[in-house]
Amino acid sequence: MNAGLPLVENEILKLFRRRRFRLVLLILAALNGLIVFAQVQVQARQKGPRKEWRVEVQERIARTENWLRSGRVTDTWRRWGRFEIGRLQYHLDHDINPEKVSGPLYTRGFANAGSLLLLPLLAIVLASDIVSSEFSEGTIKLLLTRPVTRSRVLAAKAAALILAITLTVLAGGLLAYLFSGLAYGFSGWGAPVLSGFRLAGEAVDLSAIRALPLWQDTALVFGLAWFSALCVGAIAFFTSVVLRSTAAAMGSMVAALIAGTILPRLAPEWESQKYLFVTHLPLPDIYSGSPPPIEGITLIFSVVVLAAWAAAALLAAFGIFRRRDVLA
Amino acid sequence: MSLSESSATGAILAAESLSKSFGRRQAVADVSFEVLPGEVFGFLGPNGAGKTTTIRMLVGLARPDSGRVRIAGLDLHKDFARAMRHVGCIVESPDLYRYLTGRENLRHFARMLGDGAAGRIEELARLVALEERLEEPVSTYSLGMRQRLGIAQALLGSPDVLILDEPANGLDPAGIREIRHLIRRLASERGIAVFLSSHLLSEVEQTCDRVAIIHRGRTLASGPVRELLAAAEAPLRVTARPGARAAEILAAFARQPPRLDGEDVVSAEVPRERVPEAVRALSNGGVEIFSLERRAASLEEVFLEVTGGETV
Repeated sequence: MNAGLPLVENEILKLFRRRRFRLVLLILAALNGLIVFAQVQVQARQKGPRKEWRVEVQERIARTENWLRSGRVTDTWRRWGRFEIGRLQYHLDHDINPEKVSGPLYTRGFANAGSLLLLPLLAIVLASDIVSSEFSEGTIKLLLTRPVTRSRVLAAKAAALILAITLTVLAGGLLAYLFSGLAYGFSGWGAPVLSGFRLAGEAVDLSAIRALPLWQDTALVFGLAWFSALCVGAIAFFTSVVLRSTAAAMGSMVAALIAGTILPRLAPEWESQKYLFVTHLPLPDIYSGSPPPIEGITLIFSVVVLAAWAAAALLAAFGIFRRRDVLA
Repeated sequence: MSLSESSATGAILAAESLSKSFGRRQAVADVSFEVLPGEVFGFLGPNGAGKTTTIRMLVGLARPDSGRVRIAGLDLHKDFARAMRHVGCIVESPDLYRYLTGRENLRHFARMLGDGAAGRIEELARLVALEERLEEPVSTYSLGMRQRLGIAQALLGSPDVLILDEPANGLDPAGIREIRHLIRRLASERGIAVFLSSHLLSEVEQTCDRVAIIHRGRTLASGPVRELLAAAEAPLRVTARPGARAAEILAAFARQPPRLDGEDVVSAEVPRERVPEAVRALSNGGVEIFSLERRAASLEEVFLEVTGGETV
């Protein structure tokens, strides 16, 4: 019996030699390039000297207060409004510009925004193909008739997938930093960032607020984005094992992802959605304290729900893969 | 033609009462056979007879509903990894990674074997005459080349038994001859047992030592190829004038009453050894003979023989 490493080596070779992984890198580069370019264009078009940031923040607080007073605001938006006012006020009180643009800030923003859709989507693209492609190419018949148990074959694929998703998140971060750095400058990793805002009834609870240097905060945000991408990857991996078709696996996972982003808007009061995995994908938001769409969601709760889904998906994938007849 | 031989014969591959159904359709029913070291064993049957399903069970891709597979004495289900060390196989079609080169494919499967299998790549590439195309992606290979690369892959682990599913499928006559030659060489020079399935009697006849016939999921007969063929002789076709008179005369030699297929064409089941006698009787009886032919026994005729008249 050989060790597992050559098997992982095989899976990595196949993953990188397919066009898929290169496509993922290309998407990341194109997207980051486009966003930074668009931002620079917009800023260049704003006429007149820019207002002092304190004035701008004060104006935003006033606008939000007026909007809340208008009375035609749902409870969910009212919560968000109060939260936003509290957050902005805190920044004013502590003399921190919440909107300052820099390469490092953009990079953090990339992971923050990407964790909702982009990174899970790329994880799905990588994961939905890793088992089903062996079926559609017919190579599964060779792969499973070698003197290696099916569990070990699947474990090697899972390991290769973890590596590929990790590289994807890292590459996304590096590309974001590269493009934004060229536009806004590469420095600013030491600036303080506030996170841990929490809504307690009508007011914003400030007791849990921490100020971390940006580099620490960014590392945390990337870690969380990586974790949620891995969990989506695990679920897509399961789908790929069950459906044996890349297109079907990818289609159903993307549908789930999109449904998950729409659901909190359409049925914010439906409490059971806190047990769905899609609700928890924006882990960085939940950590930094954007108002959670559902009350009672904490970072720990979200991490536990995601981990439970991923563990169940992997267990089911192994159970099915080990037993099922291969008739492809 | 008994199917039940004892397991103590040292068979390298043994199917013991394999059965498998899909829903209500019984694909394979109580199939048993043994393949001995160094022999080429043919598994003959029309398309849809259950050949591929049986092969999938032999290599662990599908699990039999009942019965078991033994490879080198090991229970395939209980001892999969150790049992498969003895096996090289191609199931259905030689599907390899098309975006990788021939060498990368062989390296890939060598890594799954360990044990210096990578060191055999050059030698095997020479054996299947692919050494010059080894650095090219498999997507540029012809079907025959992929079939040969598949065989090289199957041989990487120095197997004791090679399981090939319809190895001649889709190949041109030259390709078929090459594969047949290679299979015979592997058996005679390296003592590898080869189990191959086919729906072509001629292929099995020219390649195999022993054969089992499968029809509608059941093995009907097994034994040395020549015995089976001898049992199913095709009728003699005689073109002679007048046909009716010829039929009358041939009736004395045929196992069943001759059949008039056309005005001057008669089909009669005349045993080989009685043909000269019959020809003499025909010409003595004033019948003019234009041609005499006996087509090689076709698979259908073997089936007719072993199924007792049931059509394929």
